[in-house]
Amino acid sequence: MPSEGWLLDITDSRPGTGVVLWFKGREGGRVETRRVPWRPPFLVEGPRALLDRVERTFSEDPAVERIERVVERPSIFDRRRRTVLAVRARTNFARRRLAAAIDALGEYRALTLYDVDLSAPQLYHLAHGLYPFAPVVWDGAGVRATEPAETIHYVPIPLRWVPLSVGFEGVRKGRIVPDGARVGSIRVGAVTVEGATEAKTLRALVEELAAQDPDLLLTDGGDALDLPRLYDRAGALGLGEEAFFLGREPGSFRPTRPASSYESYGRIYHRDAAFPLPGRFHIDSSDSFLYGDASLEGMIDAARLSRLSLQTVARQSPGTCFTAMEMAQALSDGFHVPWKKNRPEGFKSLERLVAADRGGVIFLPPVGVFDRIDEFDFASLFPHLMVRHNLSTETLDCACCPDSPEVAPELGYRSCTRRVGLIPTTLAPLIARRTAYKRRLKEPGTAPEERERLTRRVKMLKWILVTSFGYQGYRNARFGRIECHEAINAYARDLIVRLGLRCESAGYRIVHGIVDSIWLAPDDPSSPPDPEAFAERVGQEFDLPLAYEGRYRWIVFLPAVTHGLGVPNRYYGLYDPGEFKLRGIRSRRHDTPTLLERAEKLVLDRFAEAADAAGVRSTVPAAVEGLDRIVERLRAGDWPVEELVITHRLSQAPEAYEVFTDSLAALRQLEALGVRRAAGEKVRYVVRDRRARSFRERVTVAERLEEGDRYDPVAYADLLARGADTLLAPLGFPYPVLSARWGTDGEVERPRRRSPERTEQRTLDLAVPELAG
Amino acid sequence: MGRTAPTYRQALEERLKRWEAFGRLLTDPEDRAAFERIERGTRRYIAQATYAGSPDLLESILLSALVDLARDLPKRPK
Repeated sequence: MPSEGWLLDITDSRPGTGVVLWFKGREGGRVETRRVPWRPPFLVEGPRALLDRVERTFSEDPAVERIERVVERPSIFDRRRRTVLAVRARTNFARRRLAAAIDALGEYRALTLYDVDLSAPQLYHLAHGLYPFAPVVWDGAGVRATEPAETIHYVPIPLRWVPLSVGFEGVRKGRIVPDGARVGSIRVGAVTVEGATEAKTLRALVEELAAQDPDLLLTDGGDALDLPRLYDRAGALGLGEEAFFLGREPGSFRPTRPASSYESYGRIYHRDAAFPLPGRFHIDSSDSFLYGDASLEGMIDAARLSRLSLQTVARQSPGTCFTAMEMAQALSDGFHVPWKKNRPEGFKSLERLVAADRGGVIFLPPVGVFDRIDEFDFASLFPHLMVRHNLSTETLDCACCPDSPEVAPELGYRSCTRRVGLIPTTLAPLIARRTAYKRRLKEPGTAPEERERLTRRVKMLKWILVTSFGYQGYRNARFGRIECHEAINAYARDLIVRLGLRCESAGYRIVHGIVDSIWLAPDDPSSPPDPEAFAERVGQEFDLPLAYEGRYRWIVFLPAVTHGLGVPNRYYGLYDPGEFKLRGIRSRRHDTPTLLERAEKLVLDRFAEAADAAGVRSTVPAAVEGLDRIVERLRAGDWPVEELVITHRLSQAPEAYEVFTDSLAALRQLEALGVRRAAGEKVRYVVRDRRARSFRERVTVAERLEEGDRYDPVAYADLLARGADTLLAPLGFPYPVLSARWGTDGEVERPRRRSPERTEQRTLDLAVPELAG
Repeated sequence: MGRTAPTYRQALEERLKRWEAFGRLLTDPEDRAAFERIERGTRRYIAQATYAGSPDLLESILLSALVDLARDLPKRPK
């Protein structure tokens, strides 16, 4: 009789000649596995003579199982089928190495390879109509999903998850764990595992996991600390991979990906090594951007659609999910996925380049407080534009539609009218899905737990849709093309300009606008236009959904510190029902100490009572007096130090720092404790004495902070003045006024001196000789 | 890796840096204020200049400064 349940995951089998399917039964939730042979080929396309050479050279290669000639339509640009080579490696782990060798034979130019870097599990899903968390029936003959991956409203899989955290002997929680520290006790859900010896503790952990049999282990820092340290200790105690494992079967002690630092949108980030598990998910909440935002519910939805394992989704960016969705779409349309993007940007004249290489329209808002402002935005504007105008790598300036009426404004790029491109085909169902979830959220009868689930899925989809645009301009994006990116921006600019004219005729004027959002003030405040009706009408006219976000009782647009003009994305305001919208202010940042969050809350609580701009202005003095009292307490020296911890993400490698800053002092203190931090990692510290020359005196790192530790009251009063400036600068209390009021001006001039503990910093002495000595 | 051409915003700031030397030698406070007014004027219309997308940077900068000044024209006594 066939069994019913869910497909939990598909993983590589250890010898690499097949995959392991993990099923979870509907009744009782028992987990079963099935091992199937699966060695998917990759394709090689190129001139016939070269393909002959590849075949001759590699057919006897020990890494090759078989090379066949097949007739395929590999590229999404292909209109006709052609003969290509299908190369099957002896093991799946050898695929990439083999592909690289073949690519080298074509001198990295002459051959195009397909389907190389899709994993064997991913390809298994796609070839068998399966997907992660699919409801399935299985028996000896095979596995079948009982509904398609795209099903919008589905019964979620009941996952059993437990938190896991490791305690080390003699190390308090949150403190630095020295190399070789022994494992003391381990918490698995509600159970604490502790044996008579360390080895017994580790064995007991394996037994406890087998007893509880969770589907998912949730750690806080497991990729950076808990798992690698557990494996290290197991190794040191002679417990091998077969004896000590955290998955549902033995796995490797080594990470599947090493730790690295990388740059994204001008910021440096750090990614920990990855320690996924076979048959059981390991998610490290501290190293997962998506876990924080989309939570399990959103990630499960993304795993279904992308055919990526939940453990991959958790550790990757939404862009990776979107790319995997494009790949899945391409394969299901009968095409294949190019390994390397072989499409450089086309040549452009300078004039064309300047015209094309521009983003959306971003206004500079007027600085100050305003009332009765209506905010509107186009939901998922860019994805909508891609779908509406068929903007895709292979449909832009196609050969088949020289007279296409679909032409990008200003740029003249034409879209194909004969076939729908890969990007729109991938995006349209995602947009529909997000709309359906949002609609269900608005229905009055939706239960709270479903509401939570839907909210998370909406967030996940939002991120995927956002990256779908950015990836068009990313040089390595598999199906990206810079001209698509340019066309999308051109359509968006055109839209805002037309919208501006439309606003004027409706009795509005534009106060501010960022790409897909606009803030409008009524010409006549005593009889403003009906915003809902306006949104409805404009949405219909432009054939794009325009949403009315709400009316602000008041909104403050903030100035730039450098030139005093408005900054597009820094503002805060109160919507009419009494809900704040905050952008670019301190509380929105992750590095803000609790002190500043409290100060901001104090100010905003006061402002929440204001009904309009005049109300805000009249409340300012009371708000500043509230801050005065915080400063008094700070100066008295009894503010709880844990509320003063500043977090700083390192923008460069520790040795690259030249100026003696708080962060450098923290780095050196950590170094003295035996801890190194890489670029993109964070340091957390309390400023102890900003004028101190010694790194030991200047800060105290969070890892050795004790209750009642000393802090620098003037430095924090100054930080408060800078934080309050963000909110109050346009209301008559800029930083100079506040720092004079609180006596911090001139007090915290940072001594630009080298730390006496280190003499390497000669550059500093040379750069500012007048300060040396 | 990044963009091929700088954005108008970046190009403007680059040019304003060059203007700084000019401003430094304006010793009369009124001259100084007038100079700063021009600087602000150029920044005020970044959105419009970006949208115009002229390959001639100076054209966009001067047009921005002129529009900013012209805002005050009708207020002057005839």
